[in-house]
Amino acid sequence: MEWIGFANYAVFMAIFICIYALLSLGLNIQWGFTGLFNAGIAGFFAVGAYTSAVLTSPAADGRLGGFDLPFWVGWIGAMVAAALIAWPIGKICLRFRSDYLAIATIGVAEIIRLVIKSEDWLTNSARGITDIPRPLGDLSYTMSQLAYLGIVMAILLVAYLMVERQIASPWGRMMRAIRDNEDAARAMGKDVPYRRLEAFIFGSALMGLGGALFAHFNRSITPEAIDPMVATFLVWIMLILGGSGNNRGAILGVAVVWIIWSLSEIVTDQFPHEYAVKAKYLRIFLIGLMLQLVLRFRPEGLLPEASGERKPVGKPSD
Amino acid sequence: MKLFQTAIAAALLGATALAAPAHADVKIGLIGGVTGPIAAMAPPMIASAQLAIDQVNANGGVLDGQKLIGVVGDSACNPQNGTDAATKAVNIEGVVAIVGPHCSGAVLAVANSVTVPAGIAIITPSGTSPEITSLDDKDTVFRTVPSDDYQGRALARTLLDRGTKKVAVAYLNNDYGKGLAEAFKSEFEAKGGEIAGYAAHEGEKASYRSNLAELASGGADTLVILDYGDGSGLTLLRQALENGFFENFVGADGMKSDATFKELGAENLTTFVASSPVGEKSEALEMFNKAFSEAGGDPSAIFVTTSYDAAFLMALAVEKAGGDKTKVAAAMREISSGSGETILPGEWAKAKELIAAGKAIDYKGAAGDHNFDEKGDVPGAYALFKVGANGFEMIGEMK
Repeated sequence: MEWIGFANYAVFMAIFICIYALLSLGLNIQWGFTGLFNAGIAGFFAVGAYTSAVLTSPAADGRLGGFDLPFWVGWIGAMVAAALIAWPIGKICLRFRSDYLAIATIGVAEIIRLVIKSEDWLTNSARGITDIPRPLGDLSYTMSQLAYLGIVMAILLVAYLMVERQIASPWGRMMRAIRDNEDAARAMGKDVPYRRLEAFIFGSALMGLGGALFAHFNRSITPEAIDPMVATFLVWIMLILGGSGNNRGAILGVAVVWIIWSLSEIVTDQFPHEYAVKAKYLRIFLIGLMLQLVLRFRPEGLLPEASGERKPVGKPSD
Repeated sequence: MKLFQTAIAAALLGATALAAPAHADVKIGLIGGVTGPIAAMAPPMIASAQLAIDQVNANGGVLDGQKLIGVVGDSACNPQNGTDAATKAVNIEGVVAIVGPHCSGAVLAVANSVTVPAGIAIITPSGTSPEITSLDDKDTVFRTVPSDDYQGRALARTLLDRGTKKVAVAYLNNDYGKGLAEAFKSEFEAKGGEIAGYAAHEGEKASYRSNLAELASGGADTLVILDYGDGSGLTLLRQALENGFFENFVGADGMKSDATFKELGAENLTTFVASSPVGEKSEALEMFNKAFSEAGGDPSAIFVTTSYDAAFLMALAVEKAGGDKTKVAAAMREISSGSGETILPGEWAKAKELIAAGKAIDYKGAAGDHNFDEKGDVPGAYALFKVGANGFEMIGEMK
């Protein structure tokens, strides 16, 4: 029955890849298409995860909620909450240019993390929220994982198609214009701050949804899950490696990083147990090395951004 | 691109190498926070669990002389890596049970999304969150470390008995510090004590002087530090001593670390006491200390006793269950129920004979007796320790 084990593991990895792909897509809208350096992914991930947790978990003492609502209400709520949080942050911070924006968003994410970690009445602080329902979670181990994979894949597909459509539209071309030459875009009469805010909110809502899917998969959410290392910088590595500005690249990057990260542990387990503990650090080294190599030899990522539709100019089209 | 294909191919090769597990060995997962925030604490914990496994193998192995193998997985102290490591352990390595994960958040995620659905028993040596008690776990989640609730309350009663009526509390803002602090506060106030300062702090900061000044402004002369003695707890203690903010210091098991007197000097810590879980039979602890020292470990490191006990208990449960992973959880209850022939740390050969003969056994470990309640928790017996010339000395039991 070995194949069942492999299947379970593969399904688990696929679920994680889909969840992180949503984060990566969200970041791609912000960084890849609009040039906003958001280093606070963990914050929006956390807002989504906790909003959905509060909305859908059964009532508990000592914290907000739970309201025991159906899971889809929680997921929509997660997107709305992440967007609502993104709005004032964007309003204030988007006036900064790239590196300043990065510092500001790191700070915001840290504030969100510390509030979640400290406020009992809101999020049960350091202990986190448990008893979050997983849709179709009553099935057996394998079936329940498969069912969840189906749900997250469907959501990812819808999100991907929506983002693709949005980017191919005039809106997408405008965003790239703003990214590549802000002054020119402004001279063309584009409302640059407003458009950037749109992209920031759109991307953040997707990150919030990713957080909600993660919380429901684990049936629990604790502050440890929103550590910047695993919820912000890992996503950046995935996007840069896959190719920012290309949605398929964003998803491919997630898959490549996660598969190498996860499978490398199986390789390091081959070492004798005296080295087993030390060997774990090899995995982190491997991810770092991979990023270095990509940045050195293929800075545009595995699947680079398409260089835009350069159709032959000649006849004036409509 | 080539490079990635090669890398993936290499990784896949590694995976397929494991496709045919050797049926001669029995595997258990040792999942801990090897990288991440408790990276300093994890290696001794895994080493002590490994000691239990080595003892099992040196004394006849499990079942029909098969070797017990500990597969180390890295939870990095977060749910993402924790569930990944557990999924691999359960599905790829085919472990029959898991010792770990170390951090409460990882325990909750792993139990909820991997081990409870898969029916694998887990036992955590250091997940102290009260949330683990209320898990809907189908009786598969155990722990060898008491919930913070018990220790916080015991510490509060002991302090009041010793005549300390007014304290300030500084706790690390994670599930460990928070759980202890809340239990301590409610018991201390309910029994007539006064909390003159109560504040959380974040770990690994360079200075806690402003936190300390604020806590001291309440007028208490005793500071209760609920933190780790080899991390920010040590910084806190040092700065409180240097600046004379408080006279007396009280810690819980996290603070009972040799780092305190090694760094600060025993002569400066005459007013420092710390509580810690102890076994009723103190010889169990001595046997462990001796064995772990001989194996090159430091027996006073935090959570090594609970890790050792967790691994030894798991080995006993696997033996009792006949290697059937679906029966390990039930067997766990039988081998440490409080009745039967006493088994002490390292007495594997004796335990194996008794199990083979169908006799009841009762493991009494280095960190306590581990008689699980219906939630899979251990109540824990505590004692108060002070710093003496040769390290920590017990000054009395706690009720």
